[in-house]
Amino acid sequence: MTRNNDSNGAPKGLVFNIQKFSLHDGPGIRTIVFLKGCPLACIWCSNPEGQSTAPELIYTSERCIGTEECDRCGVVCLERALTEDDEGKMCIDRSICDGCCDCAVVCPSRALEESGEWVGVDDVVRVVEEDDAFYARSGGGLTVSGGEPLAQGAFVQALLGAARSRGIDTAIETSGLCNWKTMRDVAPLTDRIFFDIKCLDPEKHERVTGVSNRKILQNFQRLRAEFPQVDVVVRTPVIPGVNDSEDDIRAIAEFVNDAGGASAYELLPYHAFGEAKYTKLGKHYPASHLEPPSEQRMKGLREIATLCDASCMGRAAS
Amino acid sequence: MLEVIERPSTSRGSTVLTPHEARIERGEPLALVGDAAQSKRIRIQKMLEGFREKPIRLNIDRARLLTESMKATEGQPMVLRWGKALAHILTHHPIHIEDEELLVGSAGSAGRYAVVYCELVGPGRFYTHPHELVASKPGEPILITEDDVRALKEDILPYWERNAYHQATMNALPEETRRLMERIFVVTPTAAGRSMLAWAHDYGKVLEHGIGSIRRDAAKRLEALDPIDTAAYVEQRPFLEAVCVVCDAMIAFAHRYAELARSQAANEPRKERRRELLEIADICERVPEHPARTFHEAVQSQWFIQTISRLEQAIGGVVGNGRIDQYLYPYYRKDIDEGRLTDEDALVLLESIWIGMARSTDVYAKPGQPSLTDGFAHWEATTIGGLTPDGQDASNELSYLILRSKREFPLHYPDLAARIHSRTPNAFLHAVAETIKDGSGFPKLFCDDEIIPLLVAKGGTMEEANDYCVTGCSETKMLNREGIATGCAWINLGAILEMTLRDGRMACYGDGLVGISTGDPRAFATFDEVWDAFTKQVENVIQHTFIQQYVSDTLKSQHIASPMFSMLHDLCMESCTDIHSGPIDGALYLGFFDVIGFGTVIDSLAAIRALVFEEKTLTMDDLLDALDRDFAGHEEIRQLCLNAPKYGNNDAEVDRLGHDIEECFTRLAQKHTTAFGGELDLRYVSVTSHVPLGALVGATPDGRMAREPLSESISPSQGRDRKGPTATLMSISSTKCAHYKERAARLLNMKLSPASLVGEAGTRKLMALIRSACDMKMWHIQFNIINRDTLLAAQEDPEKYRNLLVRVAGYSAYFVDLTPALQNEIIRRTEHKF
Repeated sequence: MTRNNDSNGAPKGLVFNIQKFSLHDGPGIRTIVFLKGCPLACIWCSNPEGQSTAPELIYTSERCIGTEECDRCGVVCLERALTEDDEGKMCIDRSICDGCCDCAVVCPSRALEESGEWVGVDDVVRVVEEDDAFYARSGGGLTVSGGEPLAQGAFVQALLGAARSRGIDTAIETSGLCNWKTMRDVAPLTDRIFFDIKCLDPEKHERVTGVSNRKILQNFQRLRAEFPQVDVVVRTPVIPGVNDSEDDIRAIAEFVNDAGGASAYELLPYHAFGEAKYTKLGKHYPASHLEPPSEQRMKGLREIATLCDASCMGRAAS
Repeated sequence: MLEVIERPSTSRGSTVLTPHEARIERGEPLALVGDAAQSKRIRIQKMLEGFREKPIRLNIDRARLLTESMKATEGQPMVLRWGKALAHILTHHPIHIEDEELLVGSAGSAGRYAVVYCELVGPGRFYTHPHELVASKPGEPILITEDDVRALKEDILPYWERNAYHQATMNALPEETRRLMERIFVVTPTAAGRSMLAWAHDYGKVLEHGIGSIRRDAAKRLEALDPIDTAAYVEQRPFLEAVCVVCDAMIAFAHRYAELARSQAANEPRKERRRELLEIADICERVPEHPARTFHEAVQSQWFIQTISRLEQAIGGVVGNGRIDQYLYPYYRKDIDEGRLTDEDALVLLESIWIGMARSTDVYAKPGQPSLTDGFAHWEATTIGGLTPDGQDASNELSYLILRSKREFPLHYPDLAARIHSRTPNAFLHAVAETIKDGSGFPKLFCDDEIIPLLVAKGGTMEEANDYCVTGCSETKMLNREGIATGCAWINLGAILEMTLRDGRMACYGDGLVGISTGDPRAFATFDEVWDAFTKQVENVIQHTFIQQYVSDTLKSQHIASPMFSMLHDLCMESCTDIHSGPIDGALYLGFFDVIGFGTVIDSLAAIRALVFEEKTLTMDDLLDALDRDFAGHEEIRQLCLNAPKYGNNDAEVDRLGHDIEECFTRLAQKHTTAFGGELDLRYVSVTSHVPLGALVGATPDGRMAREPLSESISPSQGRDRKGPTATLMSISSTKCAHYKERAARLLNMKLSPASLVGEAGTRKLMALIRSACDMKMWHIQFNIINRDTLLAAQEDPEKYRNLLVRVAGYSAYFVDLTPALQNEIIRRTEHKF
């Protein structure tokens, strides 16, 4: 057994959260398994702890009870990356911290936590199956998300295979950026793919996500062509000033139609709920200047999305 | 259904409000919801205007008449004395008919009122200081005249102080039993707080046959009494005489209303109102004496029984409405079919019952002070849905109409309870879910698939069990099968834990022994020793609980009888025995005791096991020292305690501790039998007692500070369930000892954020969650669909949020009427939000 493989030699996954009773990522009541690591760096990312491919130290300063009361973390930090701030609370010098997370183990108040753990498929399935009683009634199941889940292709393939063999409904949420082989291997194992298409303009895409959209769009076209039976829901996060024009949305809808359509097209309004996590990671939030789009704006865009091709698009989900 | 609006207080993003929250944000006055309801039910709309501003008048008429009669009948058989007393009340109690009323009958004066039950624990606790009571609730004035005060102090209370059931039970207790109860609150007896636990009447019987038929039955039995059978003659005769006296008085009471309606009609200038008053007069001459023929007669007959029941005795939580969609349905169907009634007409009559219940308040529960039942609580449980006696789905058009009324009628009455079973139609569940999403906390849900088999295991027939009705906050009754359930004891589990850690003592009571000595925990080498000490403390407390209940049961019939209640009960009538006298042939005695602080204690034991014995992060000495100091200077230890494993997160090892606690109680309860040969079962319904009982318990190893509330009912400790509602439900399910029948209600409050249930998709998901909860055989579940921000805003601006309803524990109440401690406790309950 290694860090990356379980006792059967199957790959382990780097998981940063398993969230139960999720109501908005696939049918029914679902459990979302969040995998760590993403090739994109979208400025609006609401799961910044999903970006890095290694476990990370998360610090919630409100929980710290102060160095007066407790110095457990300082004692164990060999790098001496932990010091005291003006309020007597602990603070991290991220330039020194090597991310070992030994401090998180001893922190009594969960102010310091390690985000990301290598977990085997069986352990994940066991947690997912705890909510069987709720999937049975709601038609729910497992949704694999991230980060970019397909960045851990072998693990996702094993996880989806195990879930499928045990009768669990499955879905994945992907940015679409992965090698085609991974997409090809995973597609037949999942009941549903939520496929993000952020914008069609390659330059703009690169500016706001750090990567080109060429491979993403190509993967989408091949997915629709080679796996037409797979249920694909296209999603666009609507980011003000980035892709919230009618032309942006119309262009995506037309691209999707040309590629063979999708069972639904969902527009997700930008929200700032992830902002606090940046602070906890010691990172800068690049979207602090953004405001969520108005309900009026979203309504207009959803109409565009619906108008594009009713026969292929099915519905523009709200 | 849910509305997305911008709330100025939130800086980024919009908040999803429930319809109930949105109405309050818009500053709407108390009114029926929707233009259609307002324009079609003008009568109800008018009755609601200014309703909550009406003062509450203390009704001492009942107390005065009761006392007069009881003084005059000293020495006679108790049941006959109470029969005569009720007759005296019904003959002389002032009556009135309010403008707009279609349904008549009141247990008090016009407007809002509160009945004084001088025969109960009341005298000693509140009524002796009536002026204090008046001052207890600024903005919610309770009216009492100087004459009333004088009458209470000089004529009424002195008599009942000499004849008080409460004091008699206390005096009769063995010293060690009394030590745990009187002013100590390790065990809080509530036997004298009400004359019996929550119940409903068999209204259907009255609607179908009339009181006249019961009168004839009693007369026939009286005639058949044979003096040769001396025992029966002596024992049964007073009961049957009391029934006759009460029946006559009930019929005469209705006739007094008929007469008043006719005299008002004679002076009524408005033609339409004159016609209504004459119709009221006709109906009051007809019911409850004779069988009801129409929906209006049926509702009036039910309301008379309910009103007279309020005058007869204080049933716990006030008498319930039973399975209202079942017994009223034949009358509704017939009137609709024959074109005599529209749905709006039916709603006006039903909502007249709701208003009638809302007019009555319970001053025993005293807002503004820590109280065991906060917020003027009373809950006349009103059951819809479920199974028919022969096991078919019972929902009908009336069930849906009542749900519609719940969405449109703005007061927190009735306390609606929906029975859900595996074949509950989706349409019914959909209507239930939409009603829950309205956000005022109704209906509460009961799982037939859990309750029915349990009732059968306890001795009910399938037919009786299928036909159970909900009573009180979360109890059930097989109306013609169960014998009396005397007020239950509340066991302070937090105190038991504290005694375990303090060798039988409690910090707030000094060095004296409260429980039994089980050793200094510093000397315990293993967690098993902690557990042994805990179970010994439990055993001691349980024994005294049963002793207290035995005394309460056996002494009750020397003080209280309820002939009207009894004549409506098949078994009482068959054996000619008052319900308070036991044991009655064929009756099942299914009482219970409540355990308060389940979550707090599971978490505390889990923390001790993990920190002291497994990880050895702390010594017992460190922990106890920190608890002694209420964690002052020991924040590090408190954080370790707070972050130890917690109940409510589907952690098998922690939940197993809950299972073991339940097993410990149920196995001890199995060994005992009550005075009437029944059982006392384990129940988790704290109502609001977890707040005042928590105030007596020192800091606990779960990280709870001294005097903070204990956990509520079966719910995990406030805010400690971090993994969402499914994990909470799984944990609760895992703690249940499904292999024992000595179990009663497990009351579960679940707070969900409105945003998680938006739209039809949200409704479907709530339906699925409810279905799963029933699959898991949760006894009871209720939802608070509300934003935390709304509760915080209501604390800031109580006037604006005056009409904000929240689910407390088995009932809903106005948030601003609750004590600050309880408000904070509700805010701290976990809001599941995704």
